[in-house]
Amino acid sequence: MGDSDSGWAATLHRMWTSVGRISARDDLAGLILPPLQALPGVIAVWGLRHDPHDDTVMEYRATGVPLDGDLYDLARRLGTGEIPVAGGELADLGVTEVVRARFDLPGEAAGTIMVLTGAGADIDTVTVRLGQVIEVTREAIRLLGVRRSERAQQTRDALLAEASLQMDAVLDTKQTMQRVPRMAVPAIAEGCLVYVFEDGKPVLRSSVHVDMRRLNALLRDPAVQDHLTHLVGQAVAGAEIPPADTALLATRTVDVQVLRPRGEVVGALVFLFDRDVTAVPPQSFLRDLSSRAALAIDNGTRYERRRRDVVTMQQHLLPTRLPEVEGLTVAAAYLVGDRILEVGGDFYDLVVGEDGSVAALIGDVCGRGVDAAALTGMARHTLAALLQEGASPLRAMSRLNSRLRLDGSWRFVTAGVAHLEHHADGVTVQWASAGHPAPALIRRDGAVERATGGGTALGILAEPRIGRSEIALAPGDTMIIFTDGLTESRDSDGVMFEETALGETLDRLRDLPVGALVDELSRAAAAFEGAGTDDVAILAIHVEREN
Amino acid sequence: MRSDDLVYVVEDSDVDVEAIERAISRSHPDTRLEFFRSGSAVLTKLADDGERPWLTLLDLNMPGESGLDVLNGIRADRALDGVTVVVFTSSENQDEADACYAAGADSYIYKPMNFALFQSVLSQTLDYWRSRPAGNEARIVVPPPGDSSAHT
Repeated sequence: MGDSDSGWAATLHRMWTSVGRISARDDLAGLILPPLQALPGVIAVWGLRHDPHDDTVMEYRATGVPLDGDLYDLARRLGTGEIPVAGGELADLGVTEVVRARFDLPGEAAGTIMVLTGAGADIDTVTVRLGQVIEVTREAIRLLGVRRSERAQQTRDALLAEASLQMDAVLDTKQTMQRVPRMAVPAIAEGCLVYVFEDGKPVLRSSVHVDMRRLNALLRDPAVQDHLTHLVGQAVAGAEIPPADTALLATRTVDVQVLRPRGEVVGALVFLFDRDVTAVPPQSFLRDLSSRAALAIDNGTRYERRRRDVVTMQQHLLPTRLPEVEGLTVAAAYLVGDRILEVGGDFYDLVVGEDGSVAALIGDVCGRGVDAAALTGMARHTLAALLQEGASPLRAMSRLNSRLRLDGSWRFVTAGVAHLEHHADGVTVQWASAGHPAPALIRRDGAVERATGGGTALGILAEPRIGRSEIALAPGDTMIIFTDGLTESRDSDGVMFEETALGETLDRLRDLPVGALVDELSRAAAAFEGAGTDDVAILAIHVEREN
Repeated sequence: MRSDDLVYVVEDSDVDVEAIERAISRSHPDTRLEFFRSGSAVLTKLADDGERPWLTLLDLNMPGESGLDVLNGIRADRALDGVTVVVFTSSENQDEADACYAAGADSYIYKPMNFALFQSVLSQTLDYWRSRPAGNEARIVVPPPGDSSAHT
C-alpha cells in the first residue's frame, strides 16, 4: 500500500468515525465532500439530495466551486443525467471529466455525488474513492434512519404512557376530549380533531393544531367542515374511508381513527400531518392511542351518567317542596358528595301535623348505596307520617328505632326532630336528638350560637336514648339543622369545618335570606373540603318578624 | 433586526431551563438560545432596537409579569410582529389557552413530563414554524370564543 492509499484509508476511517456521531443528515456534507475535494486534480465536488416522492433535487451541497445562479441548474442536469458529463459550461470551469455516483436507500432521500475533475486527476482512483465515500454515506444515512426511528419509537412510547396517565387522571369527558389532542400535537401530528357521534351525526368537540389560527381559518370553510364530517361519518359507519382532500385541508396527510370503546362506536379522531410521510406514525400506534382515548372518553361518559342517576335518585328521596307555614320562612339545600358514586343517606322534611303543629326533621343513615337509600326512604317516611299524625318527636323516634331493630339492619340512623310551637313572643322549639349534630342559631342581632345535641343514634339500643332540649326563637331568629357532612368536612390538614369555619361562615352569611343562606353554607363546606365532599343536608327555619 | 437562528426562552424553572437547553441543542444545534428568568427581563430586552429572535418560547406561570403579560407586551409592539410566540406550558386550563390565542399567541403547546416527548414537542414546534413564512401578517387578535364555540 502506497502513502497515498494509507493516507486515504486513514481519511476514510476518520470519515466513518465522524459520520457515526452526527445527528442530522445536514451535517453529512461537511464530512464527506472535503476529502474528495482534496484528491489531486479535483476542481469541485457537488452533492444533490433527491425528493423521495418525485426524485427532483431538494438540496444542493458544494465544495471547490460554489453553486449559485445557473450552476444550480447545471448541477441538477448533470446529476440527473440530463446532460452528458462534459460540455461547454463545464469546460469553462476547467472540468474535463465528471465522476458521478448515486445511492438509494428505502425510505430515505437518495443522493448523488459528482466529482468534477480537471487535468492531473486519476479517474480510476477518483472513481474507486467516490464509491467508497458513497458506501460510507449510505451506511451513515441508514444509521441516522435507525436512530431517527428509535427516537420516534421512544416518543411514541412516552406519548402513550403520558397520555394514559393524563387520561386516567380525569373522569370528565370534556377535559379528556381536550387532553387527547393537546397530548398528540405537535409530538405526533400537526393537528388533531375529536369528533363524537351525537344524534346520528359527527360533531366536532375539540381540536388542537400547532397553528390554531390556521386551523380555525380552515374550519370556518363550509367545504372543509363538510369534507371532515363526511370522512368521519364514513369511518364511524364502518364504510371505506375515501381519500382525504389534502389540498382542501391544506395538509400533507390525513388519518381518521374510529373511537370504539367496548365495541360501541362513539366518534373518531382526525389527525392532520404536515410532516413528511416518513415521519407519520404507523397505523398501529394511531390505533393504540385512539383506543386509549376512546376508553377514557367512555369512562368519563359512564361516570357522568352514573352521577346523574345518583343525583336523580337522591332527589326522589327528598321532598319535592316544603310546605308553607305562616310566620316561618323555610329553605333546604342538599349537596351530593363527589367522592362516591352511590346514593347517600341524608334526609330532611318539614311536616304540618293534623293538629296544625309543625315539625322539622333531619337524619342521616350511615353508609351509602342501594340499601342505605331504601332505609333513608323508610326513615324519612316513618318519622314524617308519625309526626303528621300528631305523635311526639320522642314517640316517632322510638318507633323508628323499633323498626330498625326489627329489620335487623346493621345500619344506624342519626336523627333530629324540631317540634315548633308558635306563641306571641316567637317560637319555642322542642328539640329531640338521636346522636345528631346540634342546631346552629343565628339571632336577630347577628349573634351565632349552637344549641344542644345529645342522644344516641337509632337502631343500636333497644331503648333509644334521646337528647332533649328547648330552644327559644324570637322573631328575626334563624335555626339551622344539618347533617354531619357539613360539620365534619375536613380540609387538607384534617381540620373540621365545625372547628374553624362554621362560626365564621355563619357570621358572614347571617344577613342573607334563608334560601341563599343554605346554598352558600353548603358551598362553603364543599369548598372547605374540596373534591372529597360528603353529602350535606341543611334545613333553615327563620321566624319572621311581625310587620 | 430579526435573527433567524436566535430563540428567546422565558422560563423561571431551573429544571425546565435545563431541559429546554438540552432538547433544542440536540435537535437544532445551530439555534442560539437566550434565556430570561422573568417576564420583565425579556420585555426590557425586546424593547431594545438590537437583534431580535425569530421565535420566543414562553412559560405562562411566572412570578411577577406572567407569560400572558409578556405576550400582550410583544403584540402591542408592531416592531415585534415578526416574532413567533409559542406558549409552552403545563397548564391544563382551557381558558388560559383561549386567552393566549386571543392575545396573539402563535402556538399553545403542552409541556410533557417525559424528556423524549419534551424534545420531540420542541423540535416539531421549531420545525413547523421554521417552515412557515417569516412574520405573521395574518395575526389578528380575536376575542376569546364564547359559548357557541364548539372547539378549543
